[in-house]
Amino acid sequence: MKHAILGVAFAAALAVPAFAQDYTIMAPANPGGGWDGTARAMQEVLQAEGIAPSVEVVNVPGAGGTVGLAQFVADSAGDPTRLIVGGYVMVGAILTNASPVTLKDVTPIARLTGDTQAIVVPAASDIQTLADLVEKLKADPGAVSWAGGSAGGTDHITVGLLAKAAGVDPTKINYIAFSGGGEAMAAILGNQVTAGVSSVGEFAEQVKAGTMRLLAVSSAERLPGIDAPTIKEAGYDVVLENWRMVAAAPGLTPEQVAKISADMEKLNSSAGWTKLLAERGWTNTYLAGDAFAAQLDADIAATETVLRAIGLVK
Amino acid sequence: MSQGSFPGRRPPTRSGGAAFIIAAGLAGIAALILVDAAGLKQDGGYAGVGPGDVPRIIAYGLLVLAVLTVISGLKGDLPKPPRQAPAPVLWILGGLGLQLVLLHVVGFVISGAILFAMTARAFGQRPLWKAVAVGLVLALVIYGIFDQLLQLNLPAGPLERLIFRG
Amino acid sequence: MDSFSLLMQGLASAMDPMILLYALIGVTLGTAVGVLPGIGPALTVALLLPVTYGLDPAGSLIMFAGIYYGGMYGGSTTSILLNTPGESASIVTAIEGNRMARQGRGGPALATAAIGSFVAGLIATLMLAFLAPQVVKLALTLGPREYFALMVLAFVTVSATFGDSALRGLTSLFIGLALACVGIDGLTGAARLTYGVPQLMDGIETTTLAVALFAIGEALAVAAMLTPPDGMHKVTGSVSMTRTDWRRSWKAWLRGTFIGFPIGSMPAGGADVASFLSYAAERKLTRHPEEFGKGAIEGVAGPEAANNAAAAGTLVPLLTLGLPTTATAAIMLAGFQQFGLQPGPLLFVMNAELVWTLIASLLIANLMLVVLNLPLIGLWIKLLSIPRPWLYGGILLFATLGTIGVNPSPVELGMLILFGMMGYGMRLYGYPIAPVVVGLILGPMAEQQLRRALSIAQGDWTTLVSTPVSATLLTISAVFLIVPMLMRLRGRGKVLSQVAGDPD
Repeated sequence: MKHAILGVAFAAALAVPAFAQDYTIMAPANPGGGWDGTARAMQEVLQAEGIAPSVEVVNVPGAGGTVGLAQFVADSAGDPTRLIVGGYVMVGAILTNASPVTLKDVTPIARLTGDTQAIVVPAASDIQTLADLVEKLKADPGAVSWAGGSAGGTDHITVGLLAKAAGVDPTKINYIAFSGGGEAMAAILGNQVTAGVSSVGEFAEQVKAGTMRLLAVSSAERLPGIDAPTIKEAGYDVVLENWRMVAAAPGLTPEQVAKISADMEKLNSSAGWTKLLAERGWTNTYLAGDAFAAQLDADIAATETVLRAIGLVK
Repeated sequence: MSQGSFPGRRPPTRSGGAAFIIAAGLAGIAALILVDAAGLKQDGGYAGVGPGDVPRIIAYGLLVLAVLTVISGLKGDLPKPPRQAPAPVLWILGGLGLQLVLLHVVGFVISGAILFAMTARAFGQRPLWKAVAVGLVLALVIYGIFDQLLQLNLPAGPLERLIFRG
Repeated sequence: MDSFSLLMQGLASAMDPMILLYALIGVTLGTAVGVLPGIGPALTVALLLPVTYGLDPAGSLIMFAGIYYGGMYGGSTTSILLNTPGESASIVTAIEGNRMARQGRGGPALATAAIGSFVAGLIATLMLAFLAPQVVKLALTLGPREYFALMVLAFVTVSATFGDSALRGLTSLFIGLALACVGIDGLTGAARLTYGVPQLMDGIETTTLAVALFAIGEALAVAAMLTPPDGMHKVTGSVSMTRTDWRRSWKAWLRGTFIGFPIGSMPAGGADVASFLSYAAERKLTRHPEEFGKGAIEGVAGPEAANNAAAAGTLVPLLTLGLPTTATAAIMLAGFQQFGLQPGPLLFVMNAELVWTLIASLLIANLMLVVLNLPLIGLWIKLLSIPRPWLYGGILLFATLGTIGVNPSPVELGMLILFGMMGYGMRLYGYPIAPVVVGLILGPMAEQQLRRALSIAQGDWTTLVSTPVSATLLTISAVFLIVPMLMRLRGRGKVLSQVAGDPD
């Protein structure tokens, strides 16, 4: 009886169209994070759009994704049904953790989504512009406390880059790492810190409600619908994007890579994916092939420079 | 760490001996932490408390506790464990060890059945084949419900592939 | 203003039979997965969320609420019956709950957990509905220094889980604190005690440690007994709660609720901390101190109410500010977004109808949970009459299933074995188990909040007592710490320690 009900519920959830390739997507993080969200969103759309009949998500958390990456490379070489989700944070984590396995060991397929970084201050703060904030930073770097995500992550890198561009010693920034997005936001809303850094999407609703003031965004151009200058416009040469990507196993034949690329292309152009991205507030920054490979190399080189400057990589 | 040894004869010397072993274990952990903390960045940044400082305090605490454990052992304050049967413990640890080694080779069902059977054996179940059979059925049902129905990813071996994907 | 009518409207629309069926399915699925040791509510919700995708908003929200509460509740069943906590918030439940089960009082233990969860869920959900905006304002005034003070208070009250020897209790706590040092330091990114093993970078998983120490350690200790205690796990007396049980439970439920809800609402609180504080409070306030550690029903009723109230409390920052403060909340947020619900400070205003449907769903799911689980108690405790070889075989299979399902790496399974042996050794020499896990959970929280507070204040230690809240919490902690010492010095403690002289 109970099983009959379960069966009905699951048959509805897992309706299976014929042929096409199954996938197992590894999210190298715990449930609840951005990579897990991306992997489960891909699962949902790949199945719903009939691109793949059955998609499984496996979580292998740990060390900024490097645990999952290492396991992925070891277990799935030559297996065209295995995918891994990753992102910019992984680039930093590989460097700071001196991971023996790097993104060179997998087959990057495409960049899927991206987030622009934003710098905010609590609504009650007397800081009005990025220039005000930088002025304070120059006067006494310790007096400006920054709330953001994990040490060495995108948020930390953003602050380091800004300090460097403003001529402040990046090792002197008072960056306070919080474990989750919610806790950092609470610290900003509660006026516990001077400023905060995270993705634009995470702050958007707070800014709209007037509980936070958005000083600048890290994109190259101004973002549509967001009333804030870019960091570059404000006079500091910082452009940064936190992207998420999908990669395939090492050791695949060109045909296998082409098949996976085609499936991701289908995913990207599907209506379901567009709708889901809009719901989640993610920006589609799809980039595949050689262009993506070149972008990846450039990002790795730039990240290494910053992490050295902050003092996180020796 | 503070693993139990099996008292063959009656205390009181027993308990004192155990106290020394426990204290040595605690001091050993403290030493590991202190060595590790010495290798970390000593700069506490603006907080003034660096990554090595809190571990260091914990290590000092462990050292104090080690000394107190020795004293209490000499006074005979440590409870004296009753006689232990070593065989069942080894059966269970063997089951866990085999599961660890075999999990990715033979899959969840077979390695789980082995663990189940060896644990049952530790609690006096005989014959072993019957326990293996019960274990196989139970592990299969668990695999069916959690992996197939609820999408929890459990390692599959030949048996799982034969039954569920064949 | 017309919150009440909105709530009534939500409740009325939820009375549809199909909706109730969805609630039932949600609660059943949530409990089924949540019952697995090592699989907490976060993974439960993540696994089961896709099930709700095909449904309309009302049906989906209610199934979802059922999964959430079911997942929270599931952990306590294994804690009580098998001494195997399903997640960190039900660890203290195992202390008294499992003792009760061993005395054949598993029925009342499960009942007080179920009814306590219901009462707490009901009150906390209503508080969520009517007080959320005010509560969140208070919660936001708390920063790292207040959280540090709260952790200090939690540490001081932890001695409630120490058992009969302060030395052995402290030793257990420090072993937990030492294990907590393993992993990447959250503030600087420095790797501590990882020895190059990538799996150790994120530290030791609380559930791995808890499952190993409790379940595996227990199995080893029982197996090694030459003369197993007679009648263990045999059901004696009534399956349902007696009049005395009720009398002793209801205050604990209420206290648990009022401890759990505010702590769950704090962005850095958490259901586990709430359950520790509730247990400590019950132990301090009880009229039956001699029963604690041997199966006191208040020790089950309070923490179980507290962790459920905290679960509802977590929704306060989520619904009022769009702040997901736990992994579970983050996954729920993704679930809400499929209905165009935009998390943020305007959520209550912009999506009032959906928010009230959700709150109504939570109330119904909560009711469904107790309706489903009370009759099942009889069935659950039959589990314990399974012959011992099969029972422990099953316990070990389930204990490892959680770890394998979450992270099937040999390192994780190796830790399970190592900590299992440690749990066995600790039992042999009368070291209490719970403080190890408590140390592992509280240690990093306290350290990080301290360093954050000091970093913001640029190394000025007076910041720790610079706000009324932090100063008050630290003063209470100091009183808790010093008063028993003074009493002991005056010789009154001697009698107590003699009474509690017999080993575990």
